Amino acid sequence: MTVVDMPTDAGHDVEVSLEANLSPARRIADHAATAAMVLSFAVAAVPLVMIIGYVFLKGGQVVDMAFLTEAIPNSYRRVGPGMGPAVVGTVIITAAASAMAIPLGVLGAIYLNEYGKQNRLARTIRFMADVMTGVPSVVMGVFVYVVWVLRFREQTGFAGSLALACLMLPIVIRTTEEMLRLVPDELRLASLALGARRWRTTLTVVLPAALPGITSGAMLAVARAAGETAPILLVTGLTFDTNWSLFEGNNTTLAAQIFRNASQPYEGAQLRAYGAAFTLILLVFACTIVARIISARFSTTR
Amino acid sequence: MRLVRFLAVVTVMVSGALLGSGCGNSRAKASDPIAVPSGPMTELAKQVPGRIKGAGASFPDAFYQEAVAGLRQVATKLSVTYEAVGSAAGREAFGQGLSDFAGTDSLVGEDDPIAAGTFRYIPTVAASIAVVVNLPGVTDLRLTPEALAGIFQGDIGRWNDPAITASNPGQELPDREIVVARRADGSGTTKNFTRYLDRAADNWRLGGDDTVEWPSHTQGGQQNSGVAQIVIDTAGAIGYVDYGNAAQLGLTMAAIRNRAGRFVAPSIAATQAAIDSSELTEELTYDPLDAPGADAYPITAPTYLLVRSSYDDATTGRAVVTFVRWLVTEAADTYAADLGFAPLPERFRTAALSALDQIQIDPR
Amino acid sequence: MTATALPPEAPSDLTSSDKGAVADRAFSGAALGAGVAILAILGLIAWATISKAWPAFAEQGFGFLTVDRWAPSQDVFGALSMVYGTFVVSAIALLASVPVSIGIALFTTEVAPRRMRSAITLVVDLLAAVPSVVYGLWGVLFVAPSVTPLFHSISNVVGDWPLLGSLFGGGGGSGRSFLTAGLILALMITPIITSVTREVLATVPRGEKDAALALGATRWEMIRGAVLPHSFGGMVGATMLGLGRAMGETIAVALTIGSSFQITTELFESGAAMPSTIALEWGESSGQHRAALIGLGVVLFAATIAVNSGARAIVARAERRMRGA
Repeated sequence: MTVVDMPTDAGHDVEVSLEANLSPARRIADHAATAAMVLSFAVAAVPLVMIIGYVFLKGGQVVDMAFLTEAIPNSYRRVGPGMGPAVVGTVIITAAASAMAIPLGVLGAIYLNEYGKQNRLARTIRFMADVMTGVPSVVMGVFVYVVWVLRFREQTGFAGSLALACLMLPIVIRTTEEMLRLVPDELRLASLALGARRWRTTLTVVLPAALPGITSGAMLAVARAAGETAPILLVTGLTFDTNWSLFEGNNTTLAAQIFRNASQPYEGAQLRAYGAAFTLILLVFACTIVARIISARFSTTR
Repeated sequence: MRLVRFLAVVTVMVSGALLGSGCGNSRAKASDPIAVPSGPMTELAKQVPGRIKGAGASFPDAFYQEAVAGLRQVATKLSVTYEAVGSAAGREAFGQGLSDFAGTDSLVGEDDPIAAGTFRYIPTVAASIAVVVNLPGVTDLRLTPEALAGIFQGDIGRWNDPAITASNPGQELPDREIVVARRADGSGTTKNFTRYLDRAADNWRLGGDDTVEWPSHTQGGQQNSGVAQIVIDTAGAIGYVDYGNAAQLGLTMAAIRNRAGRFVAPSIAATQAAIDSSELTEELTYDPLDAPGADAYPITAPTYLLVRSSYDDATTGRAVVTFVRWLVTEAADTYAADLGFAPLPERFRTAALSALDQIQIDPR
Repeated sequence: MTATALPPEAPSDLTSSDKGAVADRAFSGAALGAGVAILAILGLIAWATISKAWPAFAEQGFGFLTVDRWAPSQDVFGALSMVYGTFVVSAIALLASVPVSIGIALFTTEVAPRRMRSAITLVVDLLAAVPSVVYGLWGVLFVAPSVTPLFHSISNVVGDWPLLGSLFGGGGGSGRSFLTAGLILALMITPIITSVTREVLATVPRGEKDAALALGATRWEMIRGAVLPHSFGGMVGATMLGLGRAMGETIAVALTIGSSFQITTELFESGAAMPSTIALEWGESSGQHRAALIGLGVVLFAATIAVNSGARAIVARAERRMRGA
């Protein structure tokens, strides 16, 4: 069917003028459908506001400098701060995971978009990366436990980083590839025509052009990883004292502490869980904001 | 546009939260102070250097953690960590040489990778397992072992069942459904609780183990505190948790009929009565479940540390012996009772200390 | 797609030196290696977990999936009740989430004024950004206690009715139930279903929509007649992606489902799911029990791979057809 392409606004005008002549049944159906859509938005928005409000109200009560720096009380029954070791653990474990997953993911995306393109291997990798984004985090935890913790006989922060990196990798690959695809081929051709080699073109022309988008995608992956709990529970163990080492000794993260404290009947523990949730949400939202700032800038200069 | 809106929303949320935190400052924020131990064993512990690591039972975890935290205040050279990974996992780690001592609620079995003669049991403290209920208006409940068994295996479904009312004369029990809360994870608490029922109630069918096959309508909670949480949240609920958690949370604890025929509610004294009326074996193990004493609370569980009979590394060995000596004496006196654990009677302590004396440190 | 044909080997002989060629080859090799890493990791996951779970699989045989008895102390591991629990909470999540997500997606693309769209997207993005453990925290400390009385009164009313009685009759217990976990999950998978659906809806040619409107259709009739049939395949794919996420969600379910190994139609009862059981029992497991938990991971891995590949294939086909149209 070929139709004349009308601007949307014109379409709306037509619709409005027709409305007066509609039969009641059709008008009611139309309004009911619109109402249902608005309602479905409300159904999603209300819990979100409740969760964030609840966590902020409860968590905001307890979060201060002491909460963010002091050691975790070794008894759930104790009232008071803090979550220092979990803050440190979250930061170093996520940072190490990013240091592994982001370069590897960007390289993988470069392969997909610059070298492999639509060949069979690239298509397989692309599909598998999509599938890998759906692998549950707990399975990654089991996997890292089997290949890493069992071998080195110790639960460490680095094992957690490995599991998080496995979760981040496919996300980074796919978002980076999308961004590389947006880089106009003229840039590549111009660089190649000037005599630059393929690798130099990719590193000095293509990547910088796509960098804001890549960064924004990476930040979203970081945000996702920082909030992961299940693999951390399986492979990094537990500590009450700050452990700056990734390779020696157990570690802990905010997400793991939320989980451990959430089902405790003690008020101190529950407040610490809320405080940790508050901190984690701020951290994750900060990553999201940074990602958005970067991508907003990207889209205006594009 | 989107970005501005996003930032605006986040700013409003954050400032709201900060306002909230400003108002909420009346809440006491400082940690409760930890008691400082004192005495000759403490003085000794201050002198001994070392870093030792233990793992195992979660039942005595509250006491061990408090003791470790207390020790840290005074003994700067001796660093102890204890990880509550569960008795079985603790024994496994100990057997594989991954830890210097282990905590366990049950005895070393054939499955454990620990050779006989290479370790010693050191009893540390004991605690009662309280049967807690959430029945609005009822603060005093008496249960026979048979009624308890009936409730936990689903034979008795309502609170006004004759099996319960018979032992609570003059008490109006509601016609309310019983919600059974039990451990979802495998645990020594479950083992001791079910072993008790196995021993004391003829009608108990589920045996005694770390986990048993609970009837399907029961609710599983994580750890003792998770079970306590379910009981707190649910009117009509019954569960079993360690006495320390139950007392701390102010839960209603049922009095259980003991072997002497008396209904006894859990307390430190009743726990000690149970230990007093049980026998200490050569190996320093004892079994206070269903103890014969008149004042004994019948569901009382022991817990032990496993230490090696000889340590190759002298520093580690000396640190372990010093720590455990201190743990069963001055630490137990300082911390145990407040946390709901009963310190051991003198004859147990003497035996434990002389067992520690026999541990060989640096055999060469 | 901007992939206009570049020559396979770039004509960069102007600066030609052996060094440059080596660097070029090294770089493309590294990129290839990084791409292949995905395949290697997936393969390694499958091999490593299966080999560690093998003792349990060998011991239990097919009983691992068909027996409804999980008794670690007896070394009996039949995960049927967890398979069932995973299925039930995922089904509840989809039932609740799919209509809502499609509604939001339609609202964004077809109804909402342009200015509101960004606000809606923001809400959906924020829903996706909240970590799952925070949903769990809220679920166990706020939702579960609040719904307990509600569950009780519902079950008192409908307890004796046919059908409804068997769904909502029993228990109420502590508020940790199939239904609680399923509804929390619904909230968590709404962003993913919404955003994929939105993308699919965006591929409906404007011409067809305008044609429907020009023929006098109301907006709803236009959506029903032109938009929905066109995007049906894509929405099925989106739903399956949501299903994949729901099946694998661990922590929020672990906190809210209640951990009972039972198979019952009563949604107010507590149950158990595969991923939550792994997380909850992991710490205190050893030997066969640990192998069985790894085995649960294998089952979960296989199931999510199957669901996700199916979903991706469907979405890709739908988008291709759309572009071709």
